[in-house]
Amino acid sequence: MNAPILTYVTFLPLFGVPFILAMSQKSDTGKNIIRGIALVVSIITFIASLRIYFAFDPSIAGFQFVEDHPWITNYGIHYHMGMDGLSFWLVLLTTFLTPLTILSTWRAIDNRVKEFQISMLVLETAMLGTFVALDMFLFYVFWEIMLIPMYLIIGVWGGERRIYAAIKFFLYTAVGSLLMLVCIIGLVYFHHQQTGQMTFNLLSLYGTSIPRTYEILFFASFALAFAIKVPMFPLHTWLPDAHVEAPTAGSVILAGILLKMGTYGFFRFAMPLFPAGSAYFTPLIITLSVIGIIYGALVAMVQPDIKKLVAYSSVSHLGYCMLGLYVLTRQGVEGSVLQMINHGISTGALFLLVGVVYERRHTRLIKEYGGIARIMPIYSTIFMIVTLSSIGLPTTNGFIGEFLILLGTFKVNKFAAVLAASGVILGAVYMLWMVQRVFFGEVTNPKNFNLPDLNIREIAYLAPLVVLIFWIGLYPNFFLNKMHASVDHFISQVKIESSVPSSHVQEAVNMELPGVTVALAKE
Amino acid sequence: MNDLTYAFDLSHLWQVTGGQLILILAGLVLICADMAMMKTDEEVRSKRLGWLTVIIFGLTASHMMSREWDLHNTVFMGIFSADKFSIFVSIVMVISGLLAALMSIGYLQNNKVTKGEYYILLVYAVAGAVGLVQSVDLLMMFITLEVMSLAIYALAAFLKNDQYSQEGALKYFLLGSFGSAIFLFGVALIYGLTGTINITKIAQALSGGLYNNPGVLLAFVMLMAGLFFKMAMVPFHMWTPDVYEGSPSVVTGFMATAVKAAAFGVFIKLLFVSFSPILSQSGQPDFSSTVNLAALGAYWKPVVWWTALLTMFFGNLIAVSQQNVKRMLAYSSIAHAGYMALGILAANGEGRMGILFYLFAYTLMNIGAFGVVYVIDGKERNAQTLDDYRGLGYKYPALGFLMGLFLVAMAGLPPTAGFIAKFYVFSAAIKEGYFLLAALGVLTSVIGAYYYLRVIYMMYMKEEIRDVVRGQVAAPTVIALVITALGVLYLGILPERLATIANMAQQSLAMIF
Repeated sequence: MNAPILTYVTFLPLFGVPFILAMSQKSDTGKNIIRGIALVVSIITFIASLRIYFAFDPSIAGFQFVEDHPWITNYGIHYHMGMDGLSFWLVLLTTFLTPLTILSTWRAIDNRVKEFQISMLVLETAMLGTFVALDMFLFYVFWEIMLIPMYLIIGVWGGERRIYAAIKFFLYTAVGSLLMLVCIIGLVYFHHQQTGQMTFNLLSLYGTSIPRTYEILFFASFALAFAIKVPMFPLHTWLPDAHVEAPTAGSVILAGILLKMGTYGFFRFAMPLFPAGSAYFTPLIITLSVIGIIYGALVAMVQPDIKKLVAYSSVSHLGYCMLGLYVLTRQGVEGSVLQMINHGISTGALFLLVGVVYERRHTRLIKEYGGIARIMPIYSTIFMIVTLSSIGLPTTNGFIGEFLILLGTFKVNKFAAVLAASGVILGAVYMLWMVQRVFFGEVTNPKNFNLPDLNIREIAYLAPLVVLIFWIGLYPNFFLNKMHASVDHFISQVKIESSVPSSHVQEAVNMELPGVTVALAKE
Repeated sequence: MNDLTYAFDLSHLWQVTGGQLILILAGLVLICADMAMMKTDEEVRSKRLGWLTVIIFGLTASHMMSREWDLHNTVFMGIFSADKFSIFVSIVMVISGLLAALMSIGYLQNNKVTKGEYYILLVYAVAGAVGLVQSVDLLMMFITLEVMSLAIYALAAFLKNDQYSQEGALKYFLLGSFGSAIFLFGVALIYGLTGTINITKIAQALSGGLYNNPGVLLAFVMLMAGLFFKMAMVPFHMWTPDVYEGSPSVVTGFMATAVKAAAFGVFIKLLFVSFSPILSQSGQPDFSSTVNLAALGAYWKPVVWWTALLTMFFGNLIAVSQQNVKRMLAYSSIAHAGYMALGILAANGEGRMGILFYLFAYTLMNIGAFGVVYVIDGKERNAQTLDDYRGLGYKYPALGFLMGLFLVAMAGLPPTAGFIAKFYVFSAAIKEGYFLLAALGVLTSVIGAYYYLRVIYMMYMKEEIRDVVRGQVAAPTVIALVITALGVLYLGILPERLATIANMAQQSLAMIF
């Protein structure tokens, strides 16, 4: 228990970098060795993270595996890491998805392999660090470090408009996060004024009382940073560009993990740090989530490009996560966290699957395909399973997540629940319609006659995802058990104070958002 | 009588101004060495002089660190002081000179201008800058300012057959003289009003009630304008792009760091000692009434607020439209001056500490960046446009990585020194409640990130359209680049030690008398 396991897991990927640097990528063997090193390192990281799984005690609501060392002492900045039930699965998801992603790039990335694999490993470290940092400064450092490898992955190995997409991704994220930095510092100084103690420790900063205006302002800027990342409607416009232009591996990591950092930021930082600010914006966020669910689904429906369709479906799915988080009921929050994992698995799998046909045909347009179920039976079966999970069919993971969220929402806000539920139907429409056009009917395009089915490597990285889809779908308690205590703690943290100024919320809503009054009036 | 012997005590002189003395004498030695080696080949001679210069700067820095840092009695004859603050800034400038000297060895060879004067000018520029920061006397400030500036005007014009170099240097000279003249005018007014040119006595005189006098404000504005010119703050920045683009790349790197450090150092010293209540914290009864000077803040703070904002905004915005990398870095250095000004505006210990840290970090990353620029350039102005940087990341992986690192540091992203430095100055400003300015400032740094990253995407995401062949990379340049890169990363991950030293340095400001 005393070994700094979180540090090990976080920085293990970096150990691969010097070895990769030492390799030459001129020959094919060299490239394979580089890929092999990256794969082995990421698998070792995953195995190391399994130690966390076994040592994790789900009955504790607070943080475990805590490491705390002074770093920049005159500013009270510590190297402070820890994990609770909310970040537990996100860390495992990260270590789990990364090797699969690296495996998927074996053939897709053939130029500048060395640089690519280094970027992937650095990215993994940054992502893990973001999920386990308990010091605001440390969190921010990891959060920003993540930008550069992702920028390179989109910009160097992406599609035609990759540079536009990479810069858009970077600028959107940077604007949000830099404003957040200003507010982090502001928060620390408010804390300093009250207690005389300079600290960036998240746990000490919880419960700092801030003048109401500032609390709302701070929450707004935190929320902006995270909402861009989620992405919430109307800040989502970078996402389709980034997804479409990114290489498959980039999309998988982006959808699977990076987007979760937005929602993670909400429940770890924005909401518990500024409960009153959070309460003030609750109606707005619920409204935007519901709009996001429906809007994402509607836009996905008309996409001619499979990848773009999946990208917009992410907007819709993440809308559920935000909705579940903001209704602040146990089911809602647990559903939301579970839905983050689900989305990582099923959307990750969808991007991997799209990557498979893209590697073969170099197009992602729906109209280029048709009837390929006959040519690629294994592929089609897996695609169908993943589609059903994305739609939320019972026995798959998607069902559990969406069901819990809707259940939790219904308790609090029936109107929003009803609207959000319509998103499930729309989801079925766009996904099944796409599947129908791509897989069924006659094979119309002669180029598709000779498509090879999945090979062993491709099955190897898809099979674990399919297993997880059913595992979560059939026995979700295995996953939910780990977070009960932390979720309850989270709700108590955010809710107690937010119940006080509920009249304020009503006023605020009346003033600013005539549309939402309906939603609240039904409560 | 006792005072007189004390004042002319040579050991005291050596303790307080030893660094300067080494530099001035070494300059003379260099001239002699240059003449003594008349017979040897010009290139070899220049190389030897270069290494000699490096040794000189090394000696100077070590003298300052070991002897001057721990002095108790710091002021020499009311002219120079060797307080920790001045020494810190001086060391930054000496390091800047040392790195520049290392790189110059390769630069001069690549450009076939292996003249010995170069190093002599460089040594005197640093000597002037150190003198400027150590002065506690307005007149000495002016003299050393001119010593530094004249050496740098000549360095800027060092490429004799290059019209841009000549044009830039002439502009710099004319506008610089104008700036110095305004500064001198301010000195004259202050002398007329207070009857003294010693900065601590000025504080005493002003706190007696003079601080309300409009004449003092006028003088203050003139001193500010003269120094803002050297700091390249908007609207006194017009000379910067031409001069930075025209000057030899290594000189530009030196100018952008050492001159900036000197100007910031002397401005902070002047502002906080003469026009702020800092001396009242020293515990000396003579200065207890300087608390009054806090009232002056109402005048200068709004000015610095707007100047900082405009500097950050214009510097970053205009840099976006630049096609020439050196010119882009020139505008970026304007923007960096704006960020540092946030620390001045904060007017607290954290702010001054932040500026000192920033100056150190900026010296490393900026000289590093100009080092890469000169290597890629080959011969000056061969390959300086953004298009020339296309695909270079793969052609020259090490240079590409270094350039990327320095630019990321300038953009203020972790884990580099640039991020920590920005963090310090912004947090100092936020501490004093300048939320709006801090928010606007970080937004301009997003603009900054855009154009820094543009170089990175040119290097890594575009195919080359023109065959760019880098110049020779001399061994000393490699040493300098490795030092700067490691420094940038080290300060980004473990900033604490330097921050503690910088903090001790800024605290010593209250002890100048």
